[in-house]
Amino acid sequence: MSGDLGYDADWRRLDARMLLVHPVNEVIRFLPLLIGLFILGSSDAGDPWHYLGVAVPIAIGLARFATTSFRITGGQIELRRGLLSRSILTAPLDRVRTVELTAKPIHRLLGLAKVEIGTGSASRSSDGRVVLDSLGVGEARRLRIDLLHRGAQAGADVSTGSASGATTADGISTSSMSGTEQVLMRFDPSWVRYAPLTTSGLVIALAALGASTQILGNVIEAGLNASDVDEKVTSLPLALTIPAGVVVFVLVISVLAIAGYLLANWGFLLTRDEFARTFHVRRGLLTTRETSIDVDRLRGVEVHQPLGLRLAGGGRLTAIVTGFKSDADGSAPLVPAAPQAVVEGVGEYVLGEAGPLDVALVAHGPAARRRRYVRALVSTSLLPAVLFVLVGVADWPLWPALVALLAPVAGLGLAKDRYARLGHGLTRDYVVIRWGSLRGRRDALQRTGIIGWNIKQTFFQRRAGLVSLTATTAAGQQSYEILDVPEELAVAFAAEAVPGLVEQFVGPDVEARTSGPRTSSASRRGDGT
Amino acid sequence: MADTSGALREPAQRVSTRAPLVWAAGAVVQGLVLAAVGVAAAIFDWFTVPWWAWVLYVVAVAVYTVVMPVYRYRVHRWETTETAVYTQRGWLSRERRIAPMSRVQTVDHDQSVIDRIFGLASVTVTTASAAGPVKIEGLDQPVALKLVEDLTRRTEAEAGDAT
Repeated sequence: MSGDLGYDADWRRLDARMLLVHPVNEVIRFLPLLIGLFILGSSDAGDPWHYLGVAVPIAIGLARFATTSFRITGGQIELRRGLLSRSILTAPLDRVRTVELTAKPIHRLLGLAKVEIGTGSASRSSDGRVVLDSLGVGEARRLRIDLLHRGAQAGADVSTGSASGATTADGISTSSMSGTEQVLMRFDPSWVRYAPLTTSGLVIALAALGASTQILGNVIEAGLNASDVDEKVTSLPLALTIPAGVVVFVLVISVLAIAGYLLANWGFLLTRDEFARTFHVRRGLLTTRETSIDVDRLRGVEVHQPLGLRLAGGGRLTAIVTGFKSDADGSAPLVPAAPQAVVEGVGEYVLGEAGPLDVALVAHGPAARRRRYVRALVSTSLLPAVLFVLVGVADWPLWPALVALLAPVAGLGLAKDRYARLGHGLTRDYVVIRWGSLRGRRDALQRTGIIGWNIKQTFFQRRAGLVSLTATTAAGQQSYEILDVPEELAVAFAAEAVPGLVEQFVGPDVEARTSGPRTSSASRRGDGT
Repeated sequence: MADTSGALREPAQRVSTRAPLVWAAGAVVQGLVLAAVGVAAAIFDWFTVPWWAWVLYVVAVAVYTVVMPVYRYRVHRWETTETAVYTQRGWLSRERRIAPMSRVQTVDHDQSVIDRIFGLASVTVTTASAAGPVKIEGLDQPVALKLVEDLTRRTEAEAGDAT
């Protein structure tokens, strides 16, 4: 590589301030164990187990610091770690796709940041990343510049001032990033109104509720038994308690969703560096996260429009990037839940053309429409059907069955919306796919990023003459599906999007041959064709 | 674009004529495993399975064992050209996969125990996408080896990191 990286040829250590972080982290992780130790062993004071329980995690932390080192040399980054079992992780620099800096509150207090380097291998092994936990913020940023801007600009960028003095206790959120950055989008606190409408908000809220209701349920039950609240509640008319319950539920969910949204997205800042080679995303209230996306690795964007968010005129934008860690959803956020205009503006800027986000899409036709309705109705009619049978057979009351009839009605609406949104299109550089209602999305995938096609037909799709065409890619969710396209349309689309691949397989079926006779090597038996 | 109108044809090559035997053997093994649960239940008195359920089960497994491999044999096909690998798999649901040669990252050849008994092998072609492995099962071992050799030679010529 270039001579600018000469100072990297020696092994470097993690920041010495990690000596403080590791012990605290380990103690927190072992906290349940420690509590157990101290409570269980409380009868005989001075039990050596107590001290061992504290000392072992801290020793592990110290050992980890002492035995971890890394260097950049010969076009590679090498991470060496382990005391008894040594391991050296090597990643070629030209395979570095993303660099992410994370700082938990304790890291921020100490001016540290964890560096996660994503390489292309993320798709096949879950742990294809090099993690340096942690470096000083200044050093971390310089390392990031070295990794992302090898060659041309590397020399110019390293003028970020003294290593540790430049950062304050505020950690990452005080900018000391190099050069002039162009701010593309800045977080607006009023966007918090969209938080309760995102699916991720709902999921967080439901998970929290699920965990808490069991505990709460027990508490409430105990409380009710001990008082006369039970009688008071049961004496209230049902028409009052059910809406009240719903209101409380919605309120709790909203509050949790808002809290989650603020924790993740506070201070969200999307910038582009002066060379237009990297997008930086910075966000987080307590734990801050800085993600860098190399423009060369960007393969498109996903616009997330879950039903609620869509009705409120909002959306969410994520980037499709190769080598981004695939454990979450394989995509990097570019815009949190925000007004649609912001989403489209940023999307257009990032993609370099407006087409993908507003081009008119090709509808999938009557067979696809029929399939939407059939699927929605069959799944939603099951419950009322069962209830009606029970009314007839087992003398159940009629009203549950009548209420359940709302499900197929909702299903009809869903099917209508799902079909209306179903579509695909092509722009100069991107394949555009729009689908889904409750979890609606519009994906724009770079045509050159498509590395294969999967064409799937279930039994019922075959009868309807439809296929699901999936574009596979090394980025983001790895595959992007176009649902229920008429077969010939799908083939024509695949041929147009990626010329020179599927055309050779178009045509009438040829006479099938068994695999045997084709080979020149002696097969065991001449398989009779 | 005149030649791109129309549906895809099936891949040209069939798999080995012995592949259905392997699939049938697999179906029998699956059937036996479930049956073993029923037998264990009878022995340890967990629950009793009525005799007619046994008859139904045996008939179902037998039909599956005969019909599925025959059907599957008609579906499973593959083809390679200078620029792409093309496969078709499945039974009731069918899936066709096309991977461009220029994006192929690895070519794997494996043989399960049953494969070795029948002298078969499977070849898996992976791309940089986790969603894209193209697998050809039930090839005659010599065919599989030759295919691996072919694919390796063709992909070696391609430059770049195939993402």
